[in-house]
Amino acid sequence: MAAPTKKVFEVFVSKIPWTAAGKEMREYFGQFGLVKKCLLPFDKETGFHRGFCWVGFSSEEGLNNALQKDPHVLEGVKVQRNRRPLAGPKKDSEYD
Amino acid sequence: MAALLRSARLLKFSPSGLLQITGTKRNGPPLGRLYSGAVGGRRTGVRSHQICPVSQHASSRLWPYAPGCVRNYVVATEQKDEGNLSVRSKQMQQFDWALTKLDFSVRRTGRVTKTLLLRIFHDVSRTGYPSGNQALLLLRSCGALLPELPLEERTQLAHRVWEKLQELGAQYDVSHYNALLKVYLQNEFKFSPTDFLAKMEAANVQPNRVTYQRLIAAYCYNGDIGGASTILGFMKTKDLPITEAVFSSLVTGHARAGDIESAENILPMMRAAGIEPSPDTYVSLLSAYAEKGDMEHLKQTLEAADSADCSLMDRDVMQVIFTLAKAGHQQHVPEMIERLRHERGYIPDAMNLCLSLITQGQEDTAFTILKTFPMQHSENFNDTAVNMGNFFLRHCISMNTSLEKIAYYCKELQESNLHASPLSFTLFCALEAKKTETSLELMKLLKEQNLPVRSHYFWPLLTQSLKESNTAAVMEVMKGMQELHVSPDVETLSKYILPVFPSIEAARQALKSADISLDSERFLNSEIRSVAANNLAELYTLLSNPSFPSLDLSVFRSSLILGFKKSTDVESMVKVTELLHKDVRFSKESSNPADAASFFLYNLISSMSEEQVQEQEDKLRSFLNQLHAQNVTISVNIFRGIRNLLESYHAPELIKDVFILVDHKDQMSNGSASASGTAHVIGIEGKLVALESKLAELKAENKPLSVILKHLIQTLSAEENLQRALELKQQHEDEMTIGGYATLINLCCRHNNMEEALNLKREMSRKDSSVALDAGKYIALVKILSLNDKVEEAVDILKEMKEKEVVINDTYTTTVFHMLNAVAAKSGVSAVRRLQDTIFTLGLAKPNSNLCSPVVTAYLDSKDMPGALEAALECQKRYNQMPRIHDVIVGLVEKGDTDLLQKAMDFVSQERGEMTMLYDLFFAFLQTGRYREARKIIETPGLRAKPGRLQWYSEKCIFNNQMEALEQMVDITAKLFECDRDEMYTYILRLCKNTNDWQKAEAMWTKMQEENVIPRERTLRLLADILKSNSQEVPFEVPETWYAQAAPTRDERDVEYQPRLITLCKKGKTKEAYGMLKEVDKKGVALSPLSYDHLLRSLLAEGSIEDAMVVKDIAQSRVPGFKLSDSANNLLIITHSKKGQIKDALEMLRSMLQLGHLPTHLAITRLVQALGNHGDVAGIQEVETLIKGLGTNPNLSSMVFINNTALAHIKNGDLESAVELLEGIYTRPDGTGSSMSFVFRKILEADNDKALDKMSAMAERLANHFACYRPVSDLFLQLLDMDKVEDAKFMLARCNAVAEQKEMLLSFVAQKAQSPGQVGKIKNLLSLIPDFTEKEVLYPYIMKCHVMDKDLPSAKALHEQMQKEGIVVDELSLKRLAVLYRKTGEMVPFPEPPESFKFYADKLKERAAKAQATAEE
Repeated sequence: MAAPTKKVFEVFVSKIPWTAAGKEMREYFGQFGLVKKCLLPFDKETGFHRGFCWVGFSSEEGLNNALQKDPHVLEGVKVQRNRRPLAGPKKDSEYD
Repeated sequence: MAALLRSARLLKFSPSGLLQITGTKRNGPPLGRLYSGAVGGRRTGVRSHQICPVSQHASSRLWPYAPGCVRNYVVATEQKDEGNLSVRSKQMQQFDWALTKLDFSVRRTGRVTKTLLLRIFHDVSRTGYPSGNQALLLLRSCGALLPELPLEERTQLAHRVWEKLQELGAQYDVSHYNALLKVYLQNEFKFSPTDFLAKMEAANVQPNRVTYQRLIAAYCYNGDIGGASTILGFMKTKDLPITEAVFSSLVTGHARAGDIESAENILPMMRAAGIEPSPDTYVSLLSAYAEKGDMEHLKQTLEAADSADCSLMDRDVMQVIFTLAKAGHQQHVPEMIERLRHERGYIPDAMNLCLSLITQGQEDTAFTILKTFPMQHSENFNDTAVNMGNFFLRHCISMNTSLEKIAYYCKELQESNLHASPLSFTLFCALEAKKTETSLELMKLLKEQNLPVRSHYFWPLLTQSLKESNTAAVMEVMKGMQELHVSPDVETLSKYILPVFPSIEAARQALKSADISLDSERFLNSEIRSVAANNLAELYTLLSNPSFPSLDLSVFRSSLILGFKKSTDVESMVKVTELLHKDVRFSKESSNPADAASFFLYNLISSMSEEQVQEQEDKLRSFLNQLHAQNVTISVNIFRGIRNLLESYHAPELIKDVFILVDHKDQMSNGSASASGTAHVIGIEGKLVALESKLAELKAENKPLSVILKHLIQTLSAEENLQRALELKQQHEDEMTIGGYATLINLCCRHNNMEEALNLKREMSRKDSSVALDAGKYIALVKILSLNDKVEEAVDILKEMKEKEVVINDTYTTTVFHMLNAVAAKSGVSAVRRLQDTIFTLGLAKPNSNLCSPVVTAYLDSKDMPGALEAALECQKRYNQMPRIHDVIVGLVEKGDTDLLQKAMDFVSQERGEMTMLYDLFFAFLQTGRYREARKIIETPGLRAKPGRLQWYSEKCIFNNQMEALEQMVDITAKLFECDRDEMYTYILRLCKNTNDWQKAEAMWTKMQEENVIPRERTLRLLADILKSNSQEVPFEVPETWYAQAAPTRDERDVEYQPRLITLCKKGKTKEAYGMLKEVDKKGVALSPLSYDHLLRSLLAEGSIEDAMVVKDIAQSRVPGFKLSDSANNLLIITHSKKGQIKDALEMLRSMLQLGHLPTHLAITRLVQALGNHGDVAGIQEVETLIKGLGTNPNLSSMVFINNTALAHIKNGDLESAVELLEGIYTRPDGTGSSMSFVFRKILEADNDKALDKMSAMAERLANHFACYRPVSDLFLQLLDMDKVEDAKFMLARCNAVAEQKEMLLSFVAQKAQSPGQVGKIKNLLSLIPDFTEKEVLYPYIMKCHVMDKDLPSAKALHEQMQKEGIVVDELSLKRLAVLYRKTGEMVPFPEPPESFKFYADKLKERAAKAQATAEE
């Protein structure tokens, strides 16, 4: 396929210990499925990453596997993960 | 809490109070009291004190402040020399937040960080106008509140603050001097009290009691009892009271003077003076002993304090500990630690003690204290890491505590399970502080413990050096890495190391001379990355060198993309790409370099933004064209990918430049791929033509067509061409797949063709009764049935959904909602109710507020308020949902129906609580413009902010552009308890943004200051956006976001309108969409090119050229450089052509081609036909030249031009030229196969006998003289097709050879058999030429015709005839016949073939294929 499907199965991970870099993230999340993308932004000013990361799986299965496990412990630190936040809060009721 | 509980009680009042009539005038509507402006009502309004007489006190206590005010502060950067009053007041308020933050920090932790203090200090200095209070707070913070700072540094800071603020004009009074004294004492600063007093005198500030006390303390601290006595004398003469603080100082004074006895004697002296020693006094004495290390007396004193009922707090004990440690008596510390009682607030105090101890070099004692900290039990008991002592380790690093000690602490912490990873945390601190040496040492420790040391650990160190361009520092880090055996990875090299050197070569040299060895491969990779990003020419030189090792493109792909995007060096771009395309060194072993290169092209385009592509269009075009010249090719798949990208970027102009790259072998070898490949280029019409011809081809070859058929139906469906889709279905009934049916059913539903939809569904079930549609299509069916008053049938469909277990997921729930709403609008209450009930009872969807609402909507639409209320209440009872209650209440308020309103309020109150009811009423008043009443509601004592509800109404206002109501709401809720003011103002600002009203936005900004609201950063950004987009100055510093660049700013408004607009277009409500666009445009809102394009196309599809042109003008004025999309252009040409506006159409085509767009087949064909109709021979010639000039032949038959030119000649009466032209074609060796049926048809249709004579003469001539039978066969079949049997017969008589054109005749039969009512024509043909083919071939077609015509008798007869003639009836025909029997309700007299049509069709095809294969062998 020339046009890769734009659909990625992403999980947003936060509270990542500073000792882990992209490689460690990929390694860790690789156990749940093929990691297609791993975006761990580093701060050019400080040289540390910002503590959060988007991990994209190539299949929904990978995503679900990753979501099923809780807690995720990386380098001895519990990280937080969320399915990628939706575009906006959906309100279909006038009561909340 | 208590206040809140009280408020809850206060809430208990009857809503009927609101409606009470005080004056009792029975003739007016009672609710008139509620709001101003009601018919006949007096303008009294609701008075809250009437309702609730207790309110005054309680409420004033309830909302004195909004909580949670401490947030980030933002201070304007511009220095204003002239103190513009408003600016000044603005700034003042901004400092106030800063100081609040300071205050907060002190209250929470008992300390302030240096960073925070400095930040505030700088802000104050920068902006000027420090107030006295600010100066005071800043000064006060320079003492013990900074435990992390060495004493001298603190005093220096205090002096800096003092001087700077004085310079800026701060007025110092005695409180400031006292504060400075306090700081001196806390910082143990040695100063001369007399000088200090002189300074005060010079400043004309009178010292007060506090001043003297502190001066005494200063003397005493130095053991100067004499000095203290002098001051004491002063105090006595001034008749100032001697307080306990003075005695405490004297204790210290005597002790420090070495006279411990006098110190001890102070206590009885105090008692004699009637002052009871305070804990402070005891602490002074205890400290005196502690300094001496006299534990015995210390303990005695402690006991004495206890027995004097003067209990010492932990904080007091800590001070003694501090003194012990400082005096070098650490061994006694544990004894004192036992005295600690771990009171509330122990931790912050102990932390400060630790910090102070570390600062003063007493880290061991500090560590002892740290170990007394209670274990922090995390709420999640299985939380893996409980890390204690982070603050301790961090401070050790910043105080440069020796590494041995740090290592020991880390070990201890880890071994006692207080910290999971102390060492790596310490390293983190060291890195953060950019302490290279310490960091490297710590990494060695990590390594010793077998913990990983990774490349990115060095980045914080490198960033710093990189910023300073400090090559030496980078080298030092690299040496450290080498010692640690960490080889820098490619990223480290290319991002953090190489950039510091002027060139790669310099880097290589420097590293070499420093004896730093590097993995040559990584170095190379980094080098390539850097060159790829910056210098393509050099890259090419490097890569093209044959000695260059093989290197996978993925190593430097992203850098290369970056380089390509930046570079203007097209030549090098081409060279590099060409190299990648050919050279196997740059692709993975298994893959083909050409694939890697073309995928790279895809990645390049994909990584560019829409703006970039448009900006660099020329560059890209030249790049692509040169690639073509270098024979770089791409596959069809890659082409499709890039095409999709370009379409989404609205840069279709580039598509053809990419298309020329498509590998032609690829096109040739794979017919269908090329057909669909090219078809995409030239739009959907082209695709249709291609598919249709493919279908005809397959059909003619008797090959399976179900796949193509489905595809075609889907394409037609996308084009909304129901009629053709149905025709196709009819022609190929037996080839229809379930998918095809589903698509068709949905299409019928869209076109409101209920009958057909039902028929199709029946047919589909007949084929396979187990099959289920998807939920969306079922819902569409339900909708169409309900809209056509077939509610019961709709209910049956719902039941079927249940039976077949069709799941309605979230997306479809919304569809159901829309369906119900549509039904509500058209078919009224009972229909909706029936559907809704069925859906809920069957459990197809769970009741939610949305799904319940259509019933209420139906009532509301019919203005039946009681009904609406009743319906809403019923929903609440049955489903616990109260749909559209807001609208109901609004309706009731508007109508002034007090009784019903009361009923509604009672009900809401009972079901959802009073709070909800009050909010409902509040919103209803706001909605109806009754703001005074709304305000009364909010003033109800005990009412609190409900963020969710406020948000709901705000969003509603924003959506409906109701600024007044929104503004009123924000205003009214100013004092509402717990109301998030920033949030409220943000709503207004969002609406301002929508309407682009910067004046209003700016006014809101001022109002926020007035209200002392602390804006969140996002609020400031929003405001700045509005101002900036109107070229207004932004009066504050805009907080930056790290993602600002990552996310291209899209027009929010468009995001809102676009889906609506496009939906309307898709639903065929083009007029509505057009109206919407015009309205939106009036508001000055620009939409995306996509929205305009959609509407344009819809209008054109309807033939509304004028409106389309208006849209085009709007688009061009809103979107600079807006161009019609290909499909719009094509549609425009078609529309012009159909309307006979050939000049416009031709002009359109020219401009399209000029822009490099490719017109579709259909557009060209229609244009050429129109030209033919108008006799415009020259026009046709021009089009032909233009199209042929394109080079890429868009699959167009040349006969289009020829036939139409001929027709144009005929139209002009120039038959000679027409004949000459056509004869020319058919006498050419390659021209004999072309069809000119079209010409004959046109002539016949026009009844142009003269032309017909000429043409038929020509055809006969061609047949007789040149053995070219095509024209004559065309004419013959055309005559038959138009039922001119006699003419055909003569024709045949004159030209017998027609009877031998078996293929043509058979394809005529096949074609006719596809649509009903055509059997006559086939019969006519057979009557004229009885035996042109085998009966085995012919009969099935005729059978198909009979079945198509539902003519059972004829079919029966045929069946009998076949049996009689001994022809084997194939299963497909049998199956068809059987179905026909059943349809007409007759018993099938033979065993019906059990499988599906498709099965037998496939079987036949297989047999045919085999037969052909054997024939070929």
